[in-house]
Amino acid sequence: MPNEDTRPIKVEVKNLTKKFGDLLVLDDMSFHIRKGEFVCVVGPTGCGKSTFLNCLTRIHMPTSGDLYIDGVPADPKKHNISFVFQEPSALPWLTVEDNIAYGLKIKKLPKEEIKKRVDQILDLMGLQEFRKSYPGELSVSAEQRIIIGRSFAMQPDLLLMDEPYGQMDVKMRFYLEDEVIRLWKELGSTVIFITHNIEEAVYLAEKVMILTNKPAKIKEEVKIELPRPRDITDPKFIEYRNYITDKIKWW
Amino acid sequence: MDQKTTKQKAVHSILYWGLPVLAVVLIAVGWISFSAFNPELMPSPAQVWERLVKTFTKPIAKTTLFGHAWASLRRVLLALLVSWVFGIAFGILIGWNKKARAFFGSIFEVIRPIPPIAWIPIVIMWFGIGEFPKILLVFIGTFVPLVINTSTGIEMVDRINIQVGQIFGGKNRQILKEIVIPTALPSIFAGIRTSVSSGWTTVLAAEMLGANAGLGSLVTRGWQGSDLSLVMVSVITIAIIGALLSTILQKLEKVVCPWNN
Repeated sequence: MPNEDTRPIKVEVKNLTKKFGDLLVLDDMSFHIRKGEFVCVVGPTGCGKSTFLNCLTRIHMPTSGDLYIDGVPADPKKHNISFVFQEPSALPWLTVEDNIAYGLKIKKLPKEEIKKRVDQILDLMGLQEFRKSYPGELSVSAEQRIIIGRSFAMQPDLLLMDEPYGQMDVKMRFYLEDEVIRLWKELGSTVIFITHNIEEAVYLAEKVMILTNKPAKIKEEVKIELPRPRDITDPKFIEYRNYITDKIKWW
Repeated sequence: MDQKTTKQKAVHSILYWGLPVLAVVLIAVGWISFSAFNPELMPSPAQVWERLVKTFTKPIAKTTLFGHAWASLRRVLLALLVSWVFGIAFGILIGWNKKARAFFGSIFEVIRPIPPIAWIPIVIMWFGIGEFPKILLVFIGTFVPLVINTSTGIEMVDRINIQVGQIFGGKNRQILKEIVIPTALPSIFAGIRTSVSSGWTTVLAAEMLGANAGLGSLVTRGWQGSDLSLVMVSVITIAIIGALLSTILQKLEKVVCPWNN
């Protein structure tokens, strides 16, 4: 990757502030994310990561400041924002393929386009043989794959992932981390990935944003300039990891 | 070891096939011996069978047993159709809309615990003993479980499922129609199942108070004429139809909610 990032700015957050009553949770956060960038957000537990995400998805409205996508205030009805929740959130009455198609149907895409995208995602996620199964018949990790697939199928302007692998064992997490990287490269989506696992952040991100304790501000943005696939035992990798860990511990 | 497990499996399958049969046999033996010792209290199976045949050769109130069964079933089905439409709609309304729940909720809480049979005197005073009051009674008896199950199902829909719809930019009505109602479908179906059994009970109670046709009227007729065989014939018919209805609904549920094993 060249040192100077020339990709256009996709998402711009300006002075984002959120208060619940008198409690200040997000304090004047400003940053931007370039088109097709993969950003990980790390921060201490309870620092307001979820509130941060909920403001981005418009589940909560910010108290002041705003989020712009392509220069316009973000609006789920206009823009394409996708979300992978921490908990499994597949719709239980839909088959795997219908779950993946669900968001596309809400956006009223043409039938052939939906079919094309669903097939592509099923292939990429290795879910072809389960396309007619219901989520309840599959394992938790397969269900999480459906949700990740569903989000990528939207080809979102912005894909938000909230600790999607928090509940999985190490082996499955490594596997799904590689999957996400593969989908991201293939489809060129812009991703914000929230995690408290620093190793995961360094493994995935082009840029890591470190949040401070509550009220959350952006403490530092760290560019991860490591070739892929990354090796978690590489001394440089460890150096990044230790650096970020120190930043989180230090205040 | 394999041999042992196959042997165990065989024993199990015989056991679980045999136990229900054993239960039926025990009841039959109990019935036969009880009726043999107390013929004035209980007719024997053979007498009941004879009485059953007689309901076809010598119709009661110009109607065979099938006619009576159909008369009861028709009342139940008519009432159910109306109550499915209104009960489910009302349940969705108070489950989804907070204002509607605030308005109707307390009235419904008061009406809810009244057993349907308690409505019988009022309904008969107001509407007499024709078809309409019977159907109305069944409607009352089936409406309540439908509303309760539907509204609870709607209220219990996981927030995360609703958020999925919001994030994808679904409109409120889309979220209700495409996420909330399908998620609540198993509960709604539980309401339908309860409504059918409750409707079947209520119609018989209503018929026992005055009707020319219907299984409930047969029970009353047998009772008043000391024709215990006729009572038994009606009761067994009631039981068989009730069991059939519940089997049909179970099958239907698998078709309507296939994800809900």
